Amino acid sequence: MLKLHNLSKVYQTDEVETVALDNVNIEIESGEFVAIMGPSGCGKSTLLNIVGMLDSPSSGDYIFMDENVAGYPESKLSNIRKQNIGFIFQSFNLIDELTVEENIELALLYHNIPASERRERVARVMDKVGIAHRAKHMPSQLSGGQQQRVAVARAVVGDQAMILADEPTGNLDSAHGQEVMEMLQSLNAEGTTIVMVTHSPAHADYARRTINLFDGHVVTENLRAAV
Amino acid sequence: MFQNYLKTAVRNLLRQKLFSFINIAGLAVGLAAFLLILLFVRDEMSWDRHWGGGENIYRVETTIQFPVREDRPTSNTATPVKDLLLDTYPEIGDVTRYLAGSATFQQSGDLFSERVAFAETNFLDFFGFRFLHGSAETALEDQNSIVITQQISEKYFQDEAPLGKTLSLRVAGEFRDFIVTGVIENPVRTTHMRVDTIVPFNREYFQGARWFTDDWRFAIWLTYVRFAEGANVAAVQADLPAFIERHMPKNAGGQETGREFSMKLNLVALSDIHLYSNVATADAGTLYGFVGIAFLILAIAVVNFLNLSMARVAHRAREVAMRKVVGAQRSQIIQQFLGESLFLVVISVIVALVLVEISLPHYSEFLTSVIEMNLLGEPSLMAAIVILCVGVGLSAGSLHAIYFSMMRPRDVLYSNTSPDAGGSKLRLGLVVAQFSISVALMTIAFFVNEQTEYSRTMDLGFNDQNLIVVAGTNNTNSEEFKNRILQSPFINAVGRSSDVPTEGSEDRLTIRPVSAGETVTLDALPTGPDFFRVYQIPLIAGRYLNDSEQDTLRRREQNAQYQAAANIVVNESGARLLGFDNPADAVNQVMRADITSERVAETRIVGVVKDFHFDSARDVIRPGIYYIDYMRHSDMSVRIDGNNRDAAIGVIEQVWRELFPGRVLNYRDMSELVERQYQADTRLADMLTAFTILAISISCLGLYGLAAFTVERRTREIGIRKVLGADLLDVLMLLLWQFAKPILIANLIAWPVAFFFINDWLDGFAYRIDLNLVPFVMTGLLALVIGWFTVAGHAFLIARANPVRALRYE
Repeated sequence: MLKLHNLSKVYQTDEVETVALDNVNIEIESGEFVAIMGPSGCGKSTLLNIVGMLDSPSSGDYIFMDENVAGYPESKLSNIRKQNIGFIFQSFNLIDELTVEENIELALLYHNIPASERRERVARVMDKVGIAHRAKHMPSQLSGGQQQRVAVARAVVGDQAMILADEPTGNLDSAHGQEVMEMLQSLNAEGTTIVMVTHSPAHADYARRTINLFDGHVVTENLRAAV
Repeated sequence: MFQNYLKTAVRNLLRQKLFSFINIAGLAVGLAAFLLILLFVRDEMSWDRHWGGGENIYRVETTIQFPVREDRPTSNTATPVKDLLLDTYPEIGDVTRYLAGSATFQQSGDLFSERVAFAETNFLDFFGFRFLHGSAETALEDQNSIVITQQISEKYFQDEAPLGKTLSLRVAGEFRDFIVTGVIENPVRTTHMRVDTIVPFNREYFQGARWFTDDWRFAIWLTYVRFAEGANVAAVQADLPAFIERHMPKNAGGQETGREFSMKLNLVALSDIHLYSNVATADAGTLYGFVGIAFLILAIAVVNFLNLSMARVAHRAREVAMRKVVGAQRSQIIQQFLGESLFLVVISVIVALVLVEISLPHYSEFLTSVIEMNLLGEPSLMAAIVILCVGVGLSAGSLHAIYFSMMRPRDVLYSNTSPDAGGSKLRLGLVVAQFSISVALMTIAFFVNEQTEYSRTMDLGFNDQNLIVVAGTNNTNSEEFKNRILQSPFINAVGRSSDVPTEGSEDRLTIRPVSAGETVTLDALPTGPDFFRVYQIPLIAGRYLNDSEQDTLRRREQNAQYQAAANIVVNESGARLLGFDNPADAVNQVMRADITSERVAETRIVGVVKDFHFDSARDVIRPGIYYIDYMRHSDMSVRIDGNNRDAAIGVIEQVWRELFPGRVLNYRDMSELVERQYQADTRLADMLTAFTILAISISCLGLYGLAAFTVERRTREIGIRKVLGADLLDVLMLLLWQFAKPILIANLIAWPVAFFFINDWLDGFAYRIDLNLVPFVMTGLLALVIGWFTVAGHAFLIARANPVRALRYE
């Protein structure tokens, strides 16, 4: 699916140079469920951003589906991203002014899909994550767990091959957290590649592989037998 | 997609009701003000554009030039000019002219005074007057025909068919019958040519008048030329000085006009007469000033809109980031936000149009005009408004559209703080710009009001209260009229003169001062003996003139001649000009004055009066000489008992009817004549004040919105400050200083600009207020106080908030 080769990211401010990622080499196969762990500031989110094409590396190669996207301009990245990658955030990032249904539909709006098909796909995915009864509600009327389910629905409605989840359970209680993890697991079972950043070892256990980052380096990779 | 944009736009509006209201209201009020000003200016600039083929018609105007005094601009031309123009310039296809006068109309015993145009026979055809009855070709064929407007027709004949009916006019001292041969449409409001009745010009009506001779000194005709299509008008204009040089007789002497003069002819396009002619009835400079103000107000409103939109960026950043994450391109984000901005502008324009529609009647009343807006009937106006919408929408929306398109989603999605869009520097700059305009307008409005008030309350040097000026009294009966009304207890005094204050005098006298040297020229006013007493103009040396033989320069009699010697009075400035710094020294001095080109008189100064305003109060008081000439008593100034005003006027009316049957009494109130001089300035001041208040209000709306925004943004910072020990006052000071800064900077920008404009405007006044720093500082402080009041609520709210809540809110 993707391969990072000698990838580095350096943040330059007026006086300080911060190395967020230092010669990282990672390969992720199609259909994998990978957890990225590590202490605060180790570069987890930077890594996820680069993988999600929300940020560009300072040096090194990023091969995504046999294409080196490292130097691509924003518009090209945006196109690859919308075809292939879905995002789930810790803080949900739902749009307050749109209903559940409309939030999910947003992910299809920029795909030139006719309205009738959009409605159909949104309905299907809402059923899948069990939020259909809240279709006309505003995000502020939902619990955290429900909001994250909407976010998951939004991430997969476009049939994305890969989902990037940045601490998807960070803002949820344990019961709701588990619910979301199970949802990710079942998506993975259907073939979606999942890359997830998490602080929780218990939630990392849902993944087949865990990558531990420390100060911008990959320190260990643990492979786990399928649960 | 569009639906989604619309949905987010509308829901954002509804969610942020205060912001939305401020945003839309500010822009709508600004747009309304902009439209109102431009509608007024457009109206003023649209005069005389309705005549068929009017773009080829020019009025020939004369400016008479004298070597020793200022030019006398008129709208008229002398009699010989017409034929000479036609002979000289083949480009001129046709000429017409008329004499604008008035006459007494008699209708079943009642008398009315109506405007009469004594016109050449091609006049109606030349201008293409629209006939409701009759036709332009034949209407003035007979000497006793008369063409009237519809309103005159309704006034005299009500519903009856007017053609063939008779009107009785007093011309050449007797009533004559005229037959109505045509009825034309009423004159439109926006024309300089206000004719109510038109009769063929007849030289017989003006026996004895010097106007219709070959004498170039008497320019009385309103003369219009029609150029051939495509003619080079500028070339003809450029040749006119040579034309005058060739044709005007040299060294033509004159009585009232002084000894030597030359003239300048000017071609004024029909549509320029209102603004640019010698007798322009509006000032183009002022209009352009208002156009400037209109655009400034629009700028304030747009800046406001921009500023508030930027402040809202924080609320929208997450949405935009998410849109980008799911695949929105830059161009799509730009489209969305430009569209949203356009959407808001369209709402604002609709609100603005409603506001304009509501205020138009009051506005028209205030301007004593009829300002109209007819969108459906005027496609060009409609198009202008659409362009305005798009222009404002794009300019106001572009900044945050571009900002959002450039924004990187990772900066938003992973950060806890909201982005500070466009930087606080830009916002600060925008507020500074707004307040610079507001403070400059405020300062200018203050001084314009000051000057207007100063002019209005300026001591004119005479008492204008309870003074009635009766016109048309230069005749033998008027002395009896005077004596008869003086018998009434309500009439206190009566004075005579050829002209009255506010009108200025046409007469000039050249005098050789006692000290020999160069001759000097003084403004001359033929008066009667009581003039100064009636006007209550104080004497500072010697005595007033009386009805004695020695004080009379010319008596009223057949073939009256000027005396070889007479006593006269001068004003202070006159005494100074004649070489007497101490007025008392002027008394009993004898000098030779050129009364006419043939008559030199020995004049003895018997009194010096205090300077008083005779021309417009805008002009400086000029040296004046006053003498008694019974042949020049056109005006009678009557000092009445103010407590019995109606009774006094009743006496005047009654005596007039008895002594002047068949003539309409025509009188004016001196205080109104004085007031009228300030009307234009007062209107300017009022309008400026109104629009300044609007500009400040809009700026404050913006500031209010920003304050609300600040509360949101700085809550956390203030929380930390309070945890670290800042008390309410510290925080309040901090916030107030934040808002004081842009206003103070704005003052520094506004002051020099305001100073420049106001100083320039004040230079047009001979008697003007002095500029000093205090009002500048005061308007600056006022702006600051207004600004503080606007933000105080929010500042207090945030300063008082519990810091723990603020931090936990994180």
